[in-house]
Amino acid sequence: MLNLLWILLGGYVAGILLPLCLPRQPKAQIITTTAPAIVATSAGVVLGLLGLTSSDPITGSLASTIPLLTFAIRIDPLAAFFVLTISLAGLAASIYAIGYMRHFDGRTSLPLLGALFNGFLCSMTVVVLADNGIFFLIAWELMSLLSYFLVVTEHENAEVRYAGLFYLIMTHVGTAFIILTFLIFFQEGGSFAFDAFRHPEQPLPESMRTIAFLIALIGFGTKAGIVPLHVWLPYAHPAAPSHVSALMSGVMIKTAIYALIRVYFDFLGGQFPWWWGFVVLVIGAVSALLGVMYALMEHDLKSLLAYHSVENIGIILLGIGAGMIFQTYGLKEFAALGLLAGLYHTINHAMFKALLFLGAGSLLYTTHTRNMEEYGGLLRRMPWTGACFLIGAVSIAALPPTNGFVSEWLVFQSLFLSFHIPDTFLKLILPLAAAMLALTGALALACFAKAFGISFLALPRSTHARHAKEVPIPMRVGMALLATICVALGLVPMVVVPLLDRVVAPFTGVSIEGHVLALDGWALATVDVEFSSLSPSILALLLTVLSVLGLGIVAAFGGLMRKRYYKTWGCGINLTPRMEYTATGFVQPIKRVFSSIYQPTVKLETEFLHESQYFAKRRRFEFHVEPVFQKYLYDPVLAFVTALAGRLRIIQAGSLHLYLAYIFVTLIVLLLFAV
Amino acid sequence: MITPPIGSQLVDLGSALLLLTCFGIVAQRRLSACVDLFALQSVFLALTATLVAFLTGIHHIYIAAALTVLIKAIVIPRILKKVIERLNVKRELVMNINVPASLLICGALVMVAFLITQPIIPFGHLLTRDSLAIALAIVLIGFFTMIARQKAVTQMIAFLVMENGLFLGATAATYGMPLIVELGVFFDVLVAALIAGIYTNRLQDAFDSVDTAHLSELKE
Repeated sequence: MLNLLWILLGGYVAGILLPLCLPRQPKAQIITTTAPAIVATSAGVVLGLLGLTSSDPITGSLASTIPLLTFAIRIDPLAAFFVLTISLAGLAASIYAIGYMRHFDGRTSLPLLGALFNGFLCSMTVVVLADNGIFFLIAWELMSLLSYFLVVTEHENAEVRYAGLFYLIMTHVGTAFIILTFLIFFQEGGSFAFDAFRHPEQPLPESMRTIAFLIALIGFGTKAGIVPLHVWLPYAHPAAPSHVSALMSGVMIKTAIYALIRVYFDFLGGQFPWWWGFVVLVIGAVSALLGVMYALMEHDLKSLLAYHSVENIGIILLGIGAGMIFQTYGLKEFAALGLLAGLYHTINHAMFKALLFLGAGSLLYTTHTRNMEEYGGLLRRMPWTGACFLIGAVSIAALPPTNGFVSEWLVFQSLFLSFHIPDTFLKLILPLAAAMLALTGALALACFAKAFGISFLALPRSTHARHAKEVPIPMRVGMALLATICVALGLVPMVVVPLLDRVVAPFTGVSIEGHVLALDGWALATVDVEFSSLSPSILALLLTVLSVLGLGIVAAFGGLMRKRYYKTWGCGINLTPRMEYTATGFVQPIKRVFSSIYQPTVKLETEFLHESQYFAKRRRFEFHVEPVFQKYLYDPVLAFVTALAGRLRIIQAGSLHLYLAYIFVTLIVLLLFAV
Repeated sequence: MITPPIGSQLVDLGSALLLLTCFGIVAQRRLSACVDLFALQSVFLALTATLVAFLTGIHHIYIAAALTVLIKAIVIPRILKKVIERLNVKRELVMNINVPASLLICGALVMVAFLITQPIIPFGHLLTRDSLAIALAIVLIGFFTMIARQKAVTQMIAFLVMENGLFLGATAATYGMPLIVELGVFFDVLVAALIAGIYTNRLQDAFDSVDTAHLSELKE
């Protein structure tokens, strides 16, 4: 097992170093940087699967000369699960990169891009493996910095630099909170080893535990992108190269979920007052709803996907929050169900979000734009990409028979089981969260009807889209791999659930396999409570049978089916792309309904003909969604900090003598204090 | 035969002469005189170090003393004189703090230095132990001169005075640093003087003056 770990780490290191040593040939550089990554991620997949099935956690450590720091790793089922998730997405992204990196040839240094990519994957893996607080923080910080450098790959673009800076500041604010969290645990444990956090010599007083809970939520929540700390996400994720966006959005934000579970259920021992779970639940519900709502208004495909990450983190937190509430009331089986649902959605989201970002990258690769209004008609030109994107869209919209459906179903189950809670208030709140989740699901469906419809159907809206070609084979393979996993995870929950049960069991103390969640052959049911059951595979079969049946009925009773290829009738006018539904037009009704949330500003300028007021020469339509959080939360803070910095500027007079005087006075004062 | 008390007093005398030259540098407006005073101070330093070496029988201090004479009393003053000649800056015209006030502040600094070292000195058993306070005073005065004077040349001299104070301090506290460290320090000082000389020339080229106050124009 540790051999596998060495292969994994060695692969990443090779991926970092090899391309730097070889001649400057783009092809050689790409292969030497992606091949080791593929080897390393494959090792990671195997390692994850072995870790999930092994009975005892595997540990290993290297001592260091730095006090309190040991390079300790521990592979328990939770860590193994996340290694598996990271490696699966990383594998697909690495394969995809073989083709996609050509896009950057001549625009940036390929060995650098490859080295950063490998380092980023490596640091994420180490984050979930680390078993020492300082080691964890080092890996965490490396992950943040490397992803920052990847975000600013196209730094000649001012928007990208802004996105990078925004991300850098936000992630460091988050890290500051994380360091505080660990310091609190250090205080009780006297060591930075995670074991000391788990079994402290003197347990923390209640107030400190509460503080630890809150600052961990802020610190990791910044990385996860919970509302209102999500604002960096729609800037940073789209700015990065697409295969990196896939990892950032699909996997990196999941390391925060890992850390939250680690802190709440492992370090804090799963003992919490009811309002902790409630807070997580509310944040989850709000993130899910607002995430999808803002996503709807985006016409930049990658920004849209980034907002959907906010939504899906919300869904994951709904599961975890429900689990925490059940845990408070000692309903361990349901707690396990909630946690399991959250984790299931974690791997699902990692897969379909990575797939969608890779799909968006393919569109960018061939059309050189991220604006959906300039796509259109791409399905015929890029059938592979279109099919993969469709599978991703169906998954994220939680439609059967894909994986998103199963995990959202599980989240719903855990929320509906709230009638077991002895508290009336929570009995009311959890179904409300379920209602918000339902609305989220509906809006997500609308959003991806838009994303897929506007991008892939109808006529091309720009010359780029008209001349679009299918992407190179490695990119297709990367996407197809993820699409397959998406469908597979949806069809075989009875294989996935027992594995996840092993992850959850140490934290809740019960195994729910066959107890609450029955795996009755091909079906998945919540027994004991006789509540509901689900069989995705039968559902899939049913769907197939029904559609075949439907077509059969049409064929049998619908008269003669004769194919005729005609143009769509346009009332006698030739059809042009301008007659199509635009992305803006598509979401207009939703914008109206939720105008109190969007607070849209619409500007319509009309230029009339000289001759008559009744004939418009041209119309200009502008529409903006108010960035509420930025305006009312971030801008005031920013203004305050800027003003403060302006005040402090006085001491920076630029005079050499003054600076020397500062040092001198400080020296004298310190010396006098020392006496 | 010189008895230790007399030896100790001689060391103190050397240190006091060093301090005196410091005051001279602070009071002096003419730059070439400042350089001469610095050279003189270095000679005093070398004498004090030789005395310490003679009294303690630690030989490597002789080498350090010889190097002090060579570098600080001969080479660096030459570099400085050349800079002064080439740039044609003879006098310190505008001062941040004028001479009488500077002297008063320097007096206060000497008192501060004695105050600070008061608790430490009784623990020392070396014959040089009283020089520690004077060494600290010289460092502080050197630092103060850097702040109080505007011309880059004076600041260089002040920096070198600080260095002398540190050397004296090292001798006073531990009979000097290991030889290899001292050699390194001498090399550093020489390089620093060279760099500062170049920097001063560049300053002259850029601003037609060696007044470091002009550097604040570089600020945004």
